[in-house]
Amino acid sequence: MLKYEEIVNFIQKSCWMLDEEDFDGFLGLCSKDFQYKITAFSPEINKEMIWMDEDFEGLKSLLGMVPEHLRRLGKFTRHVSIGQTSRKDHEVSINSTFIVIHTDLDGKSNIFGVGRYNDKITYTINDVFLLSRNAYLETRDLGIGSHVPI
Amino acid sequence: MNYENIVALERKLSLPETHFVSGNVYTDKTIFETEKSKIFFHTWHFLCHESELLDKYDFRTISFLGQPLIIIRGSDNKIRSFLNVCSHRGAKIIHSPSGNSKKLTCFYHLWSYNDRGECTSIPREKGYDNANLQKRLCGLTEIKTDVFMGMIFISFNKKIMPLNDFIGNSLDPFKDTLCSGELEVFHYSKSTIKSNWKAWQETNLDLYHEWMHVLLRKTQINAGNMKDRKVKIMPNGHAMVGGLKAKYGAYKGINYRQSSKALPGLSSDDFFFVDLFPNFAILARGTAIRIDTVTPIDENTSLVEWRGLGLRGDTSKDRRLRWKHHNQYWGPFGRNVPEDAFAAEACGEGFIKSASRYQIIAREENGTGQDDGMLRAWYKEWSKLTSLNINKP
Ligand code: FES
Ligand SMILES: [Fe+2]
Repeated sequence: MLKYEEIVNFIQKSCWMLDEEDFDGFLGLCSKDFQYKITAFSPEINKEMIWMDEDFEGLKSLLGMVPEHLRRLGKFTRHVSIGQTSRKDHEVSINSTFIVIHTDLDGKSNIFGVGRYNDKITYTINDVFLLSRNAYLETRDLGIGSHVPI
Repeated sequence: MNYENIVALERKLSLPETHFVSGNVYTDKTIFETEKSKIFFHTWHFLCHESELLDKYDFRTISFLGQPLIIIRGSDNKIRSFLNVCSHRGAKIIHSPSGNSKKLTCFYHLWSYNDRGECTSIPREKGYDNANLQKRLCGLTEIKTDVFMGMIFISFNKKIMPLNDFIGNSLDPFKDTLCSGELEVFHYSKSTIKSNWKAWQETNLDLYHEWMHVLLRKTQINAGNMKDRKVKIMPNGHAMVGGLKAKYGAYKGINYRQSSKALPGLSSDDFFFVDLFPNFAILARGTAIRIDTVTPIDENTSLVEWRGLGLRGDTSKDRRLRWKHHNQYWGPFGRNVPEDAFAAEACGEGFIKSASRYQIIAREENGTGQDDGMLRAWYKEWSKLTSLNINKP
């Protein structure tokens, strides 16, 4: 059985890899049927929305193109705090809260977004894989936005 | 940067006066105040789509240039807008962005208003008898409101021309889609960007900047039919751009769009758009429509709002696909919109303290390809309304 500490380490690692924009490393943590979503609720139109919705191949293609895009320079840092975990067979559901901070090239940091991750992971004796990640955003004014998953 | 220098620059550039814009136009506080009174409080402005007020007594609250507004569908199905401030002590009455209520009750001393903005109840009203306060004079301030192809517009100018005349034929390319009665807003997002409001609108008017977007380089420019694009300048500062088909599969990770999912009146690879003066753009990409509006917060900060329109009757599977189509381009994590916002902010940095002294809007390609004609037409209307010259303001 996967220990709590191993779960925490795995989720942290997934965030650090995104922080470092090590997209191959991040994809290496994902199962081939990985599903990634960013969702938010709009009180203006009273609807849940999906802002990013990709499977493994879709995400791999988009991440592969990121270096060709015009982007705000600087760095995103994901601060994650793991709340609840629940287990079923070889699957673990993990709910955490996140704060994503953007630091610009002058070293000035600002909060980019706040929300919750709902992650599902699966494990074998040797490996742990991310099955799905739903990043639910409380923050809806994201300034100029981003090309990279949260 | 003073006027003489601009003139010197003009000589150096030898450009016609219509073909460059002074940096002051983006930064000067007096010009900004003129824009507020002569443009924003003068002409028509898009507020929201009628699907946001589908049922009787549905309301939306919106802040427009700092003015709190409430827009409500009345029991007679008519859509009205009011200043969302109480006639008693001026408190903002309704705080949630949307809802449904027959009665609008102010939280402070519980004065209530109906869907026509009439004051219907004042607790312990007798206390006003001596002062002769008359309830019938205590209604909400109504703002001129009209609907065009399902889109709700307001004007603070009681003498403004009718909305039909203001828009004219400009939205004809969208007629079959917008008048189908089947659309609803399925995406809403907004961003505060650090730039003058015109810098955002220019991203919708400047066809030359397509090179900046790798997605558009692959799906539009390299797709090779850009010369077929036609720009049409319309009255009142509006413009339309059509004749381009997108090749979606040309970008890795973006899929071709099935024709069965196209919106009424569109084919799945259609790409065209219309800009309405001063701050509105509507874009069609076969399976989804984007509406965006920009309103200034101050001369250096702007609020951009994006709406995505799809079919009200979408199955959850189709809705998911439509979100994807819309947001892969135009969402906060899309491949396109964050780049436009980056460009608007970068120009904002250039304008500050007049570091950027002018913008060149001089491309002429016979109204095709990447002509700057839309920008020039827009600034011509801007000059007409503000009575300011774009390069000697
Ligand atoms: S301020 Fe609204 S009831 Fe007094
Ligand atoms: Fe753009």
